[in-house]
Amino acid sequence: MNVQEIEINEAFRAEVREWMNSHLTGRFASLKHASGLGAEGYDAQLAKEWEQELAKGGWTGIGWSAEHGGRAATLAQQVIFHEEYVSCGGPGRIGHIGETLLAPTLMHYGTPEQKARFLPGILAGKDYWAQGYSEPGAGSDLAGIRTRARIDPATGEWVIDGQKVWTSWAHESGWIFVLARCDETVVQAAPGNGARHGGMVLLLVPLHQPGVEVRPIRQITGTSEFNEVFFDGARTEGSLHLGPVGDGWKVAMYLLGCERGASTLGQQAHFRYELNLILELARKNGAARDPLLRQRLAKAALGLQTLRSHALRSSGEGTSQRVASVSKYAWSNWHRDLGELAMEVLGEQGELALSDPELRPLQQLWLVSRADTIYAGTNEIQMNLMAERALGMPR
Amino acid sequence: MDLVLNDEQRMIAESAAVFLAENSTSAQVREVAEERGGFDRVLWQQVCEMGWSTVALPEVAGGMGLGLMELVLLSEQMGAHLACVPFFDAVVVPTPLWRHLSESESGLAVVERLAQSSKVCVIGMTVRGALSASARVVVDGGSLVLDGQWPQVGSGAAADVFILPATLPCGSLALLEVPADSEGVSVQALATVDGTRTSANVSAAQVKLAGSAVLVNGDALHSLWAELRSFAAIALAAEQVGVADCALDMAVNYTKERVQFGKAVASFQGLKHKAAQMLVGVEMSRSAVYSAAVAADAGAVGDEFFMLAAQARSEATDAALFATRECIQLHGGVGFTWEFDPHLYFRRAQTLSQRMGTVEQWREAVAVRLLDQPEPQAETAALEAA
Ligand SMILES: Cc1cc2nc3c(=O)[nH]c(=O)nc-3n(C[C@H](O)[C@H](O)[C@H](O)COP(=O)(O)OP(=O)(O)OC[C@H]3O[C@@H](n4cnc5c(N)ncnc54)[C@H](O)[C@@H]3O)c2cc1C
Repeated sequence: MNVQEIEINEAFRAEVREWMNSHLTGRFASLKHASGLGAEGYDAQLAKEWEQELAKGGWTGIGWSAEHGGRAATLAQQVIFHEEYVSCGGPGRIGHIGETLLAPTLMHYGTPEQKARFLPGILAGKDYWAQGYSEPGAGSDLAGIRTRARIDPATGEWVIDGQKVWTSWAHESGWIFVLARCDETVVQAAPGNGARHGGMVLLLVPLHQPGVEVRPIRQITGTSEFNEVFFDGARTEGSLHLGPVGDGWKVAMYLLGCERGASTLGQQAHFRYELNLILELARKNGAARDPLLRQRLAKAALGLQTLRSHALRSSGEGTSQRVASVSKYAWSNWHRDLGELAMEVLGEQGELALSDPELRPLQQLWLVSRADTIYAGTNEIQMNLMAERALGMPR
Repeated sequence: MDLVLNDEQRMIAESAAVFLAENSTSAQVREVAEERGGFDRVLWQQVCEMGWSTVALPEVAGGMGLGLMELVLLSEQMGAHLACVPFFDAVVVPTPLWRHLSESESGLAVVERLAQSSKVCVIGMTVRGALSASARVVVDGGSLVLDGQWPQVGSGAAADVFILPATLPCGSLALLEVPADSEGVSVQALATVDGTRTSANVSAAQVKLAGSAVLVNGDALHSLWAELRSFAAIALAAEQVGVADCALDMAVNYTKERVQFGKAVASFQGLKHKAAQMLVGVEMSRSAVYSAAVAADAGAVGDEFFMLAAQARSEATDAALFATRECIQLHGGVGFTWEFDPHLYFRRAQTLSQRMGTVEQWREAVAVRLLDQPEPQAETAALEAA
């Protein structure tokens, strides 16, 4: 990075900070540091208004090209944005499924009409998307999905029957992308017919319709951010399949590949915030004098630094698949350990259901972080992948 | 920060890997460890001739003017091939001292005399990287007289020249250049559990030295030592990464070959998951070490440098201990034999975990920074006393 670039980036950092400080105030102040998952009393409506505020400032889809309405920010600038966003107290985003998962997939596989129709709503913080992959019978083994899609010959529309589960934010979303299996009539026209990964389709489906029922599930946290979603003759337009019919698996996998990237550095900024809360508490309540806790706190701090080092190393050009393959396992286990450490630092106090707004989030962190080693590929699936793909161990 | 190796760095790493694969084979390592006291003089000569011992010295001092990153890449290969040369003790550790001395005319002469030769120069620090102040120097007429003992000096049995810490009459701590063959110096070689390294108890009785033997002292030494510890710890961590990576490789290769229950044992998930965890350790610690080296070469000093070194040590120590332990386990019965290599790496990993301070000591020093009132003097003292 040359001096000029550094100057541009520092100016950018100042711009982000100034905007955040002047906008995350007033009615939005209550959202500071609120993370969506496990946040009690979370005001989703206000969070959406905040996302619209962000959009107005041009802070959504910042890495998108100008053609799609973004500001084509460089990777370094995206990192800066995420870091400043979190350190200024920016709340967890509920628009991330649309913005960071669906949108890049739309840009890659979408038709011009689909892009024109859906990208602006995502960018503006108006349309929210849910991810309809997991089913009661298909979790780690996603290819085991049974949700069916057929075409109604009378209208040309897609008709969907089946059930999705653990669907984050479906209760707050207007749309869902659904991975489904084409029925026999459609599958004949589709490639990969008969193979386990063949004959699938990724459909863009409106949630607010008679054929869809969303039932929130109460989580380990006591709050409800994920849902069951039932499709009973649900419909979507015949043109709303993303990518080729029958090749849905490939499209679905491309979308999962978007889960990495610059936003993981934003995630680390949030981890840093959480770690600092724990360090501060340890200094206050005397846990900082416990020699074993000191070891664990130091190890956590160093581990977070290493997550950052690794993110930088694996975002470089020409990174091997082997290097990238360890990231998810590393960050999720680091974070889960941090949750346990938070409870140890709370100590005796941790046994009570706390209401102190400073301490309560630490108990929620302990619970929320259990999810990290489950979603986006469980620990065990991650280890299988590393062993088989990176180390070439046989199945 | 760019963590991708440049072409020159990639070439250094690759050529070192190729060279050591041929010149530090398991058979050679075993022969040196069992028959020749743990020091491969021929290999050391070659290492010096190829310029590996001066990569990170400034060009004015006859070095290549490269950085810690290049030393890290070489150290990684030294670990992976268990090279029986004092690369850590006689190249990595003194480099910051040589750099410091290169800043003055008189110092430059010392560097030219010591660092550019293939002499093995070893600093008489403790196993955990502290400088003891217990040895004394008195002035007798025109010369200095040194008395003291330096137990368990790493690579001490291979040393031609010692750089020994001692307290000067004025009370300040100094490093003194003391040739191993000086009258009054005795070097008692110690057999090591690792076998691929040497160690020695060094003592001095009424050793006469010229005033010019004092290389650095007082505040200059104090700040040099803080930087040197971070510098050396990062390269040491690189050696641990090399050890861990090789242990992982051996384990994966062996389990792919070994058949039980009618299939390669590598197909069993219990083993796959162990291997995957080894991989996480190897790659995360490599990221930690590389980013520390890159930051150091970009000018990180003081506290920032210390935190990077602690990060590298914290990750790499855990990774090397875990990988070498599991490497034995994944080999089954042959892992318990002398004939198979896993124990060599297991030994090296254990030995490395003690050099320059244990992870517990590094983490405690980090805890002091994170959790206690800022008292920078007390922190360094805590680490040095350990
Ligand atoms: C907070 C949260 C939010 C989520 N949000 C969404 C969402 O928005 N959309 C969506 O589609 N999904 C979502 N998920 C679902 C998530 O993707 C699945 O939970 C995950 O893929 C695991 O599937 P499962 O729950 O069926 O567990 P299972 O696959 O039944 O796993 C049970 C256990 O078996 C182990 N296991 C399974 N297969 C293997 C194997 N081959 N080898 C070794 N061990 C194995 C697993 O590791 C686990 O320990 C979410 C989950 C969570 C926790």
